[in-house]
Amino acid sequence: MQPPPVATANQAMPSGKMASLTGVPLAWKPAPGDLPRQFASREALDDALASLFPEADAGLSPVRGGRAAAEAQLARIQPARYGKSRNFLDGAITRLSPYIRHGVLTLAEVRDAVFVRTRERASSEKLINELGWRDYWQRLWRQLGDGIWADCEPLKTGHGPERYAAALPADLGAGRTGLACMDGFIAELYATGWLHNHARLWLAAYLVHWRRIRWQVGAAWFLRHLLDGDPASNNLSWQWVASSFSHKPYIFNRANLERYSGGRYCASCALAAAGCPFEASYEELQARLFPAASV
Amino acid sequence: MNSPILWIHGEALGPANPALQAFPGRPAVFVFDETLLSGPGSRPVSRKRIAFLYECLLELPVTLRRGDVAAEVLAFARRHGADGVVTSAAVDPRWARLRAAIAAQLPVQVLEPEPFVCLGEPADLRRFSRYWRLAEPLVWAGFSRFSS
Repeated sequence: MQPPPVATANQAMPSGKMASLTGVPLAWKPAPGDLPRQFASREALDDALASLFPEADAGLSPVRGGRAAAEAQLARIQPARYGKSRNFLDGAITRLSPYIRHGVLTLAEVRDAVFVRTRERASSEKLINELGWRDYWQRLWRQLGDGIWADCEPLKTGHGPERYAAALPADLGAGRTGLACMDGFIAELYATGWLHNHARLWLAAYLVHWRRIRWQVGAAWFLRHLLDGDPASNNLSWQWVASSFSHKPYIFNRANLERYSGGRYCASCALAAAGCPFEASYEELQARLFPAASV
Repeated sequence: MNSPILWIHGEALGPANPALQAFPGRPAVFVFDETLLSGPGSRPVSRKRIAFLYECLLELPVTLRRGDVAAEVLAFARRHGADGVVTSAAVDPRWARLRAAIAAQLPVQVLEPEPFVCLGEPADLRRFSRYWRLAEPLVWAGFSRFSS
């Protein structure tokens, strides 16, 4: 079967700044109230969206939507390097999640693209495993429905649900916590609509365990901004961090963050020399954050 | 169904969309869902997300609307004299409610996208490890098509 046509106006111009954005032509007549499909440039799209959706926070991501962009990203995957480096912020990650989330690429297509690039199964097992996580979250969402916003299990932190704040504090919302790492992640979330998985886990753990805010607050915050945001992967990962979908709360310490971020945040952090809330052993953090926990 | 319209939703914005594949050239519509735009936690979704969807949609032959999804899909169907609506299965529970609202007035045909893996039996989803014990060998069974 012939797939539908794909617009190619911008493929030759990666920056896209001067290229027009022309939707594929429609074989039927327009009607009053149809949204526009022709824009002189990406900036013109931004301007049009500002008037069509005035309530939405401003700004476009440098990450472009569409099949052409998705295929270009898919051509760059390196399954073996991904398996070895994916936990590092500068690792060989795929950045395919926004395209997978919206079905621009199906998981089956990505799976087959991985197979094509695989000589030995072992070198691609980690990437296939991560695709499996996506499939798993989707299956759970089908099972849980709107229950995905409720705790799957009781928290294992020793704190009752009422001990967690129900609103996002202003310093977090503004990306001005004073912690170079967290403020950096928030700035990147706002500017690009995308974060490395490890950065998501660190920011989520900070919000839920250090600041003691309900995971639902953080999950909703992420969903407003993440290009790949869907309640399945997002909410269930927040629950995994919070411990309502795992055996224990996820925490990290400075050594872990510094290692996998290449030290890029600590180097410029005002709290690097003294006052870093993550500068401790896991045992110390466990005792400090969860003094009443039974484990 | 002889002259359906296609309802495209945010889980299938690629050429693998089974409705687009099964009915190439039929009028298709995507509706920016007023309820989803208002966002989780009563704060609207960011323009970044809308723009990303918009760029995906410009590459598909689809009319773009904004508003109440079921009402807009039905109005689009009326404008095109359609005798039904074809769409692809989605996971979001909101989609099932919209489908039901549309189906109250017009027949709706739901096509399944190609799955990542067919498990063949109900999976134990309490932890990933249990799911993956069942799924992993089935996923890798397909690798033989590529490795010979």
